[in-house]
Amino acid sequence: MIGNRSNEFVRKAGPICVSLLVFYLFLFWAETGWDAYKVRILNLSAIYIGITLGLNLCNGFTGQFSLGIAGFMAVGAYTTALLTMSPATKSAVFFIDPLIWPLNSIQWGFLPALLMAALVSGFVGLLIGAPAIRFRDDYLGITTLGFAEIIRVIFTNTRTITNGALGLKGIPPHTNLYWSWSFALICVFVMIRLTNSSYGRALRAIRDDEIAAEAMGVNLFYHKCLSFVISAMMAGVGGGLLGSLITTIDPNMFRFPLTFTVLMMAVLGGLGSITGSVIAATLVTVAMEVLRVLEEPRVILGIFLPGIPGMRMVVFSVALMLVILFYPKGFMGDRELGLKSIRAFAARFRRTFLHKQV
Amino acid sequence: MSNSKNDFALVCESIGMQFGGLAAVSNFNLQVHQGALYGLIGPNGAGKTTVFNIVSGVLRPTAGSVRLFGVDTTGLGPDEIARRGIARTFQNIRLFRNLTVLENVLVGHHVRRKATLGEALLSLPRYRKEESDMMCNATGLLQDVGLDHVANYRASALPYGQQRRLEIARALATKPKVLLLDEPAAGMNPAETERLMQLILDVRDRFNLTIFLIEHEMKVVMNICERMTVLDHGQIIAEGTPSEIQSNEKVIKAYLGGGAIARH
Repeated sequence: MIGNRSNEFVRKAGPICVSLLVFYLFLFWAETGWDAYKVRILNLSAIYIGITLGLNLCNGFTGQFSLGIAGFMAVGAYTTALLTMSPATKSAVFFIDPLIWPLNSIQWGFLPALLMAALVSGFVGLLIGAPAIRFRDDYLGITTLGFAEIIRVIFTNTRTITNGALGLKGIPPHTNLYWSWSFALICVFVMIRLTNSSYGRALRAIRDDEIAAEAMGVNLFYHKCLSFVISAMMAGVGGGLLGSLITTIDPNMFRFPLTFTVLMMAVLGGLGSITGSVIAATLVTVAMEVLRVLEEPRVILGIFLPGIPGMRMVVFSVALMLVILFYPKGFMGDRELGLKSIRAFAARFRRTFLHKQV
Repeated sequence: MSNSKNDFALVCESIGMQFGGLAAVSNFNLQVHQGALYGLIGPNGAGKTTVFNIVSGVLRPTAGSVRLFGVDTTGLGPDEIARRGIARTFQNIRLFRNLTVLENVLVGHHVRRKATLGEALLSLPRYRKEESDMMCNATGLLQDVGLDHVANYRASALPYGQQRRLEIARALATKPKVLLLDEPAAGMNPAETERLMQLILDVRDRFNLTIFLIEHEMKVVMNICERMTVLDHGQIIAEGTPSEIQSNEKVIKAYLGGGAIARH
C-alpha cells in the first residue's frame, strides 16, 4: 500500500521535479550568459505572468470585473521598496520631507519584504474589496478603478512616507530571474490548485450564476473577497518585484494604463485560462519591446520617417481588435493548454487532414 | 404529539410580502410534515415563486416567520439557509452553464466542505479525502438521475429535460432536508414528465426528504402530492388533499374563471 503510494508520488512528482530542474538550469544559463536587455524582458515576462494570473482569478474565474490592479501593484511596490532600501539611501532620497519613523531606520531582506508586500496589498485589497464587491459588472469596474486612483493620489500626497511625486530612487536591485520566475511559478501553482479545488469550482459557479451559487450554499461575500484578496496579493508581490527590477518608482507609474496592459494580457490569453494568461503575458511583454522599432526614427527607401511615440500601442489596439474579432474569448477561451488538449488537437488534426481514424 | 412543532419540517406563519403598494403574498400559512410531498399551486402571478423565494432566503418577508424543523430562519441569506438544509431548483433553469455536469453537482457539495482553503492549496490528506468523497458522491447522484453518461459535458450542452434533472441532482448534493422544486415539469413532454414524477418519488424515499413543489402540470400535482395549498392573488384559497382540491369550487373558479361555474 505504502509502496504503491510512494510509487504514485514518484510517477506524479518526478516529471515535475525534472522539468523544474531543467527550467532553473535554463534560468541560470540566461542569468549568466544573456545580455542585460534580454534578461530584463525575461524578468518582466515573469512578473507580468504573475500579475495577469491574479487579475484573471478575479476577472476571469470569478467574473468580478475589477480594474484596481495598478493600485495594488503600487501598494506592493512601495512596501517592498521602503522595506528593502537602506537607511542611508532613504535619507538621501527623502530630501524634502524626511521619512517617518520606523520606516527610516529599518532594512529588511527581499523575501520578508515581498511577503510583507503580499500581506499589505492583500489587506488593502480586503478593505477595498469588501465594500466594492457588492457591485456587479461595470459598476464594480468603475468603483475599483476609482479606488486604484485614490491609492495613487494618496501616495502622491503622503510625502513623509512615499516621497510624494518625486518617487523612490535607488531601490536595491534584488530582482533577478530566480526571484521573478519563482514568483510566476508560485502564482501558476496557486492558480492550478485553487481553480481545480472545490473553492475554485465555487468561484466559477459565481461567475456563471450568482443567484444559483448562493442558493447552493456558496457564501458570495466570502468567495468574492477571497478571489479579490488573492488577486491583490499577486499584484502586490508583482509590483514589489517590478520596483526592485527597475529600481525607481513614482506614483505616475501606477496609472490606469498599467491596469489596461495587464487586462489586455488576460483578455488576449482568455479570461478563465491559466495557460492563456501565461502565453499572452509573455507574448505581450516581448512584443512591447520588439515593437519599439516602430517608434524609432528611420530611413526607408530614402525617405526619412520620424519616430512616433506611442505607435506601439496603436499596433496593440489593432491586434486586440483582431483577436476579439477572430477569437472572441481570447487565445485559449476558458480552456487549458496541456498534454491532454494537445493530444486531442493532434487527433482532430489527423482526422481532418489525413483522413485517418485514430 | 402530532401538535408538537418539531413534527413539521417547514412552517410558514402568517407570511406577508409587500412590494411597495403591491401585496404579492399576504397572511400565508403553511405546515409541511416531515417526509411529506407537498404542492403549491395557483394561477400565474398568484405569488407561488414569491413564497419559494421567501422560504429559500432570497426575499425577506415583510411580515411573519419561516421555521425549519422548529428553528426560525426568517431573514437568513440563501447560502445560510442552504447550509441549514433547504435546497431548491429554479423555474427558469439556473445551471452553471460553463461548468461540466459533474462540476455542477460538485459545487452543490461545496457547502458541506470541512477542508479549509489552505488545505486545498497544499492538497493535504483531509482535503484529498474530502475531494474523492465528493467525487464519489457526485457520480452516484448523477447515476441516480440518469446523467452519468454525460458527466463531462458542459451543462449548457444538455437538452432541456436533462438540465432539469441536473438541477435536482445539484440540489441534492447540498444534502438537504427539505427540497423545493419550482415547476420541475415545466416544458417537459409527457414521457419526460412521467420519468420526473418517478424520480421525485424515488428521491424522497432514498434521501429521506421533505419535498415542497410548485407545479402547473395538474397531472404531476394530483398524482404525487399528498397535500397542497392553492394560492390566488397572494391569498390561500384552499388547502387539502388532491381530491378535496379537485372538488373545491373556489379553486375551479380561480382556474377556469367565474363563468365556468355559472355554466355548470
